[in-house]
Amino acid sequence: MVDVAVIGVGQTRYGMFPERTLKNLFHEAAANALKDVDRGLDPANVEEAFIGTLSTGGAQLGNFAPLMMEAAGMVGASARHIENACASSGFAMRDAVAAIASGRAKVAVAGGIEKMSDLPREKNRLWLGISGDVEWERLAGTNFAGIYAMMARRHMHEFGTTKKQITMAAVKNRNNALANPKAQFRAPLDLDRAMKAPNLASPLSFSDACGITDGASMVIMCRADMARDFTDQPVLVVGSGGASDFVAIHDRTSMTTLEGTKRAAKQAYEMAGISAKDIDFAEVHDCFAIAELLAYEDLGFCREGGAGKYVASGATARDGKRPVNNSGGLIAKGHPIGSTGTGQIYEVVNQLRGRADTAERQLKNVRYGLTQNVGGSGAAVAVHILKAVE
Amino acid sequence: MTSYISLPMYSASIDERMRLIAGRCHSCEKLAYPQRPVCTECGSDKFEKVPLSGDATLYTYSLVAGNGAPSEFDDEQTMTGDVLCGVVELKEGPRVMVRLADMDPEELEIGMKLRAVIRRLYDQEGIVRYGTKFVPLR
Repeated sequence: MVDVAVIGVGQTRYGMFPERTLKNLFHEAAANALKDVDRGLDPANVEEAFIGTLSTGGAQLGNFAPLMMEAAGMVGASARHIENACASSGFAMRDAVAAIASGRAKVAVAGGIEKMSDLPREKNRLWLGISGDVEWERLAGTNFAGIYAMMARRHMHEFGTTKKQITMAAVKNRNNALANPKAQFRAPLDLDRAMKAPNLASPLSFSDACGITDGASMVIMCRADMARDFTDQPVLVVGSGGASDFVAIHDRTSMTTLEGTKRAAKQAYEMAGISAKDIDFAEVHDCFAIAELLAYEDLGFCREGGAGKYVASGATARDGKRPVNNSGGLIAKGHPIGSTGTGQIYEVVNQLRGRADTAERQLKNVRYGLTQNVGGSGAAVAVHILKAVE
Repeated sequence: MTSYISLPMYSASIDERMRLIAGRCHSCEKLAYPQRPVCTECGSDKFEKVPLSGDATLYTYSLVAGNGAPSEFDDEQTMTGDVLCGVVELKEGPRVMVRLADMDPEELEIGMKLRAVIRRLYDQEGIVRYGTKFVPLR
């Protein structure tokens, strides 16, 4: 297999941009990624493109990737749309890595986009409920908040995890986003106030959830042996894992673990030749605060059932031993569904290159960064490990 | 605009929804409910249809706040506000996500005994969709 390096990353600000179009948003992400390639890249050299999106409310379903590549100014590449719900661009990343690793392409891009803001409420609820086992989960009257809430309830029941510990992850991420100019929610939140937020799906409250977000991101990669032609600071993709699981949570043996995360992480760790203890920082899929706690356990950052105490210990805070969601995560940076996976890569690459947008949130002495991107309630999970080049 | 489970598609699962018919694997006897094309235990695709008792215990639950439930439930949510749902463990083993009814959220407890009843789920295109909800065994 050919080694793969990231040579440029781009992302729009995340937020609500009803006045902007899909094409306009994706163009910005692509232009930023091209500008980020220090010695420049002729867009005509992009051979393969993998573009993640759920469906943007059904606004554009067919030939989505060619349309986005047109907006990116990259007409001509072999392009396709990748869909795995909220893990769409995590899997776009995995496929772009494979395209280069296999020797088929020298330069490939992974990207993602979602525009959620200009949809009527009932259409958003139509559309956000389509990524489960629709015939059974959806027709039981639940949304994704309800599904994660049921997992949270089991975690509290089986391990004594408290609502307060769950909400601590959300509060940490909200406050991390204050220093991220590209984050959607940049207002401080303290634990007392968060604990008083109204019910969303019990035991989760509005403080424990991500919102509705527009945004796009792109990652440009090439063969590692060519990377120095483009930049003095390539970042190696040393691990990639992907897995799926039963779509409905009622069909899984356990509701307090995502087997998909465990399987994908095992592949990524083995490929990188490292283990969880080597990971210096991570961006994980905290669509709801409980999901971040599950990720700690499934990625091997703490023992099974120990995530509540782990988050309360401060280990995953910006100044902790292993910062998690230093960007603000999905809860505060934002979760434009199809963009989230490559948006996580954007964050990790910038941290590993020492190029965080504000000095305040630049992590020190980081070598390995991990991303975990989850589709639905764990039906599809992509994990990537990136490494700074000394 | 709502999600679209067409009437024919809905009808295809009537046995499961109304009569709690599960599939019992011919080779390993594992029960599949909802029914599935392939046994998760042994990979066989031969099933025999067997009815379940409708007795269950509560495995986990959530009170989904008003207007959070899928849009099929809009009329109901306008009338009642929150929607109560959960996962039940059927006496025969399988778990399934269901609507809970006839109870206050405060009385819910993991492990409580429930039983299946036929109730209206929602209506679409002028046709009422009935299905199973679970209520406390009193």
